[in-house]
Amino acid sequence: MSAAIGMEVLKTKGRKIWLVVAVMMAVQLLWAGWAISNKDANDLAQGWLFFLYQFPMLNCIIMPVIAAVVASRLSDVEHKGQTFKLLETIIPAQRIFAAKFIWGSIYMLGAALGQLAIMIGMGFVLHFGGPVPWSALAGYLFFTLVVSLTIYIFQQGVSMLVANQMVPMTLGLVGGFIGLFSMFFPQGLQKLILWSYYGVLMQVGMNWDEATRATDFYWTAIDWSGLGLILVFFVLIYGIGRILFVRKEV
Amino acid sequence: MSNIIETEGLSKQYGNIYRVKDVDLKVPEGAIYGFLGPNGAGKSTTLKMILGLAKPTEGEIAVFGKRVNSKNRLENLKNVGSLIESPSYYGHLTGEENLRIFQTLRGVPKQNITEVLKIVRLENQQSKKVSQYSLGMKQRLGLASALLGYPRLLILDEPTNGLDPAGIQEMRELIQSLPQKFGMTVVVSSHLLSEIDQLATRVGIIREGELVYQDSLTKLHQYSKQHLAVRTMNNEVTKSFLSQNGVAWEAEDDYLIIPQMKDTMMAEISKALGQNNIGLVRIEERKKSLEDIFLELTGTAVSL
Repeated sequence: MSAAIGMEVLKTKGRKIWLVVAVMMAVQLLWAGWAISNKDANDLAQGWLFFLYQFPMLNCIIMPVIAAVVASRLSDVEHKGQTFKLLETIIPAQRIFAAKFIWGSIYMLGAALGQLAIMIGMGFVLHFGGPVPWSALAGYLFFTLVVSLTIYIFQQGVSMLVANQMVPMTLGLVGGFIGLFSMFFPQGLQKLILWSYYGVLMQVGMNWDEATRATDFYWTAIDWSGLGLILVFFVLIYGIGRILFVRKEV
Repeated sequence: MSNIIETEGLSKQYGNIYRVKDVDLKVPEGAIYGFLGPNGAGKSTTLKMILGLAKPTEGEIAVFGKRVNSKNRLENLKNVGSLIESPSYYGHLTGEENLRIFQTLRGVPKQNITEVLKIVRLENQQSKKVSQYSLGMKQRLGLASALLGYPRLLILDEPTNGLDPAGIQEMRELIQSLPQKFGMTVVVSSHLLSEIDQLATRVGIIREGELVYQDSLTKLHQYSKQHLAVRTMNNEVTKSFLSQNGVAWEAEDDYLIIPQMKDTMMAEISKALGQNNIGLVRIEERKKSLEDIFLELTGTAVSL
């Protein structure tokens, strides 16, 4: 397996995939900077909560785009060079699938860590109130990764099965927008949509007072059933994607 | 001589159509086996099934004397190199990097890269991105990938497709040298009769998914035996005369085609025809070309 992952790394040489992740992180940094720039000292006291509310929302669109681009970039080289028919005479198809997933996950992990770094960095620079909520930040990293890897494995499955990469890219973008708007959907429906799980697994809620136009953030209980469901989705999508790829004749 | 590949009743059905039907392929060890057939006859599908890239609907495949199944497929393929339809490559990487990927995955020594690059004469182009390679160079890189593990069996599907005459010649020489140099058995498919004729020692001809001929190329040449074409002033009477005297004939345009025979016998026929007032105006020696045989076997126009 390590050889297969090592070769995935070599295949990405010159493909500038990290640049895509970096650009998306820069967008997130700019957005975070803009969102926090008009906050006064009182608001900054709730800075951590504010970020832990805003970042998952933004992730509904940012992470699916990263997942779609990474999965597509890792798979299109195989379609273009018709390499699956050679690779599958050397290593098992399921290993190709797993190696791509592991290497793709590194990019998703990189993006999630990047977000965490932005939050912590800005929190220190702007002196957010109270102690750093390390456990909530760790929770954020974990939930972001679980949801992102589930979306990524969906994207990888489609990218490996369909040669035309416009299909997974479009699915990724549409999914992202549905995820963003799903915040307004009933919870039952929300939990049927992969891309809405950044919202489902949010650790912070928001009250908005219409009269004073003031916002107040508060900690919420973790939706463990939601976490269980997304893990089931992950296992199912990974399994189905792998079976379809292994069975696909090249 | 043992068979390195043996298939039995190998079939592949897509929908209601059999693309390959009951193919019993037998490739002897050390041979250059020419797998010949028109485009769409089922050559690639058959080769893909042998490599496990397509699942047979029916039939058995044995490679190196072992029946291939999903469990031992890759173990068996360790000794098989392949180039199917078109070369597999990563265009954004160099030739050397491409080979490094397949060498690492195959788990063969790194020095094999240098050696196979030399064999296919790409050593001076190894640092160039493959996207900048010509088609001929890509084909040679594909061959190099297939050779990386010095396999006992090499399966090449249309390796000269799209190459210019010089490239075809070069690829042919390369393939021909492999059995002697490395003791490899080579299966090479083509829709070009001339190519197989120059390359193969044994030939299998496939038509609409069915194997219509399989034997040595020498035997195929024997089919092109000579015969005689005669034309007389009255072919109708001549037909009866030939039949009465036990000479098989076949009408073809203005001629009657009869088997090759001794001069004395032909002289007697000629004399007898004269005595019956039938003027013999032409006696021609004719030979069935390989193209004619291919046409008869495949029912399609031959590609030259």
